[in-house]
Amino acid sequence: MSELSEDVEEFRKIVHLDLDAFFCAVEELHDPSLREKPFAVGGSPEHRGVVASCSYAARKYGVHSAMSMAKAKQLCPDLINVRHSFGNYTEYSRQVMDILRTYSPLVQPISIDEAFMDLSHLPDSTEKMARQIQAQIHHEVQLPSSLGVASNKLVAKIATNVGKAAHGGDSYPNAVMVVPPGEEAVFLAPLPSDALWGVGPKTAEKLAELGLHTIGDIAAYSFEALEQRFGQTGRYLHQRARGADSSPVRVSHDTKSVSHEVTYSQDTYDENKLRETIGRQAQSISKRLRKLQLYGSTVKLKLRWPDFTTFTRQSTLNEPTDQADDIERMALELLRKHWKRGRKVRLLGVGVSGLGPPSKQLNLWDWDPADFARTEKLETTLEQLKTRYGAKAVQRASKLERA
Amino acid sequence: MKVSVLQENLAHGLSVVSRAVSARSTYPILANVLVSAEDGRLRLSATDRELGITSWIGAKVEEAGATTVPARTFTDLVSTLPSDTIDMELVVRTQTLQLSAGRSTAEIKGIDAQEFPPMPEPDGDGGIELPVDDLKEMIRQVVFAASRDDARPVLTGVLITVEGSTMTMAAADGFRLSVRTYELSAPVEEAIRAIVPSRALNELARVVGDGKEKVRMVLPPGRGQVVFTLKDVEVRCQLVEGSFPEYQQIIPAGHKTRTILATDAFLKGAKQAEIFARESSHIARLNITPGEGKEPGTMVVSAQSDETGSNEAKVDATVEGDAVLIAFNVRYLREVLEVVNGANVALETSAAAAPGVVRPMDDDRFLHVIMPMHLGK
Repeated sequence: MSELSEDVEEFRKIVHLDLDAFFCAVEELHDPSLREKPFAVGGSPEHRGVVASCSYAARKYGVHSAMSMAKAKQLCPDLINVRHSFGNYTEYSRQVMDILRTYSPLVQPISIDEAFMDLSHLPDSTEKMARQIQAQIHHEVQLPSSLGVASNKLVAKIATNVGKAAHGGDSYPNAVMVVPPGEEAVFLAPLPSDALWGVGPKTAEKLAELGLHTIGDIAAYSFEALEQRFGQTGRYLHQRARGADSSPVRVSHDTKSVSHEVTYSQDTYDENKLRETIGRQAQSISKRLRKLQLYGSTVKLKLRWPDFTTFTRQSTLNEPTDQADDIERMALELLRKHWKRGRKVRLLGVGVSGLGPPSKQLNLWDWDPADFARTEKLETTLEQLKTRYGAKAVQRASKLERA
Repeated sequence: MKVSVLQENLAHGLSVVSRAVSARSTYPILANVLVSAEDGRLRLSATDRELGITSWIGAKVEEAGATTVPARTFTDLVSTLPSDTIDMELVVRTQTLQLSAGRSTAEIKGIDAQEFPPMPEPDGDGGIELPVDDLKEMIRQVVFAASRDDARPVLTGVLITVEGSTMTMAAADGFRLSVRTYELSAPVEEAIRAIVPSRALNELARVVGDGKEKVRMVLPPGRGQVVFTLKDVEVRCQLVEGSFPEYQQIIPAGHKTRTILATDAFLKGAKQAEIFARESSHIARLNITPGEGKEPGTMVVSAQSDETGSNEAKVDATVEGDAVLIAFNVRYLREVLEVVNGANVALETSAAAAPGVVRPMDDDRFLHVIMPMHLGK
């Protein structure tokens, strides 16, 4: 019996979704004249802007995201520089995530344009569901997307990338790539080692020194040798190279912190400007906390100097809060303590952590026993009325429907 | 002035008065300690004008007299001298205090004792007396609940009242109230009502030592001061001006649920919860369930943090009344459980948003009120 039960091991149905050139796709919706033109979304080259996303037409010139806008202009002189319109992006992203949540409660957004979902509970073929999700997003939000389907998050995400790359070219890929259960290792084997999670340029280099260039090479290599060379990472490498990943899709209300930061277009030591930034950031954090229905108890201030060294300090509030004033006051206090007048700042960020459900310490002096007694009496009476005459016998006037 | 003292007595006396020295005052005299030889004793005094501490040590006085010397210099020097007799003599003309002990000699430049703020002895009558140990216990059970926020100065102090033979200490910040009463051996003729700074009471508890020796508390009329006197020590301080809130009104008159449990088990539960609660919102949840049939009632103390994890501690309890779910700031809970006497303690509650009352069992001299934390918006 036990052998049999091992054979019928259940496979998870994990889908990874990536909105194709998300920022560009949104800009095209607003300005159809951009269609098929080389353009990049991001800050202007004069203000040290960085490419956040670029159209497939621009990619042909070698432009890619995270490149400086100035460099992108060099590569593609006709490049149109489209400025961020951030409000729109979050709204579109939210609409997409809402569509995903109609399929499964297990949706884990990992960025504004990417998410994992677990569809294990649904009987349908995962490929069919993936195509349906893609069609629905296209129909309702008019955005292109690519999806990867596999038995775990690692392989699903790589499948998305492979699907997109296979499409090649100069238009939105709209790819769906499925890796059937059991074929994970075979699927990964020919891919370069840096396609794997946790393999950056440095690790890839070290792997190459061992003669390991593809994921298949790593999978075939001795576990002990990998562990000896890379320690804990070696163990993960070995597992992942075989397509094994048991990490669950996390429903992400377990937000650990909410933060906001800005890189100044020019380094600044203008105290008013720094204080203004903190005020704005506190506002936006507060707004986000209220939306998440969370209170935070620790405020963090992050400063980056012109030489790119980063400095962070944090302090705990007397009471958790979601109020912009409290966050701003603490952040300004940290600025006052740790920033010397005249020192130039490149980046300024404020964050709040120690998040928890809203709570408030009640105040002793606000406590009115007489008022409490009256409320208690009222509630007891209401209960009695409801017990005697039914639940709808007494209602708040605001809840009564107009006759 | 010419006087001989034992090094260890002098070092002890200086440590007693040290906390009243005002090192950073604009008045140099306040950084000094008064050294005064009188009636076979050496008096050491320090004051920052708000708090004043005096210590008397045994001495062989050959010639009475007084001066003041910088506390830091004097204390540091004395601590390095051999534990033997120290002879001291004042050169009045230059206000220089000459010391010799074993093979060491030193001269410390002083300031005339006339410049030192006067610390007149209180008049003989009035006031109250109680044993040092009892006074220290009262302070310990109340002073932690005083506010540390200067926004409402009256709340940074402890209200001391005496009516008839009943003495009461009460302190409250915005969130909790601690009240302790004490029966004096004799009634007072005139009622006393004064707000004493927490700092003075903490210092008093530190310097009085232990035992049955009586401490006398006097409020000299018209001076806005309180003076605590023992045989060898005196602590005096300025009272906090203003009126203390009428705290009796916020002590709940009744309760819906009374939960009786072992104090140490409750305290342990609170301490465990604090490990997690301190990371986020300081919330400890108490889930109180009455017993059924042979099953005892329980209180589950729990806390959780998104970052570090969560815990639950189950404590057997006798629960009279309805089940309760209530949340408190875990530090407030821990602090009261650390000072409450008795093996068992009762927690009285009425609703999730109404104050909880902690009382030791079979002892109505102490009570503590804590406002809960409201969960959700």
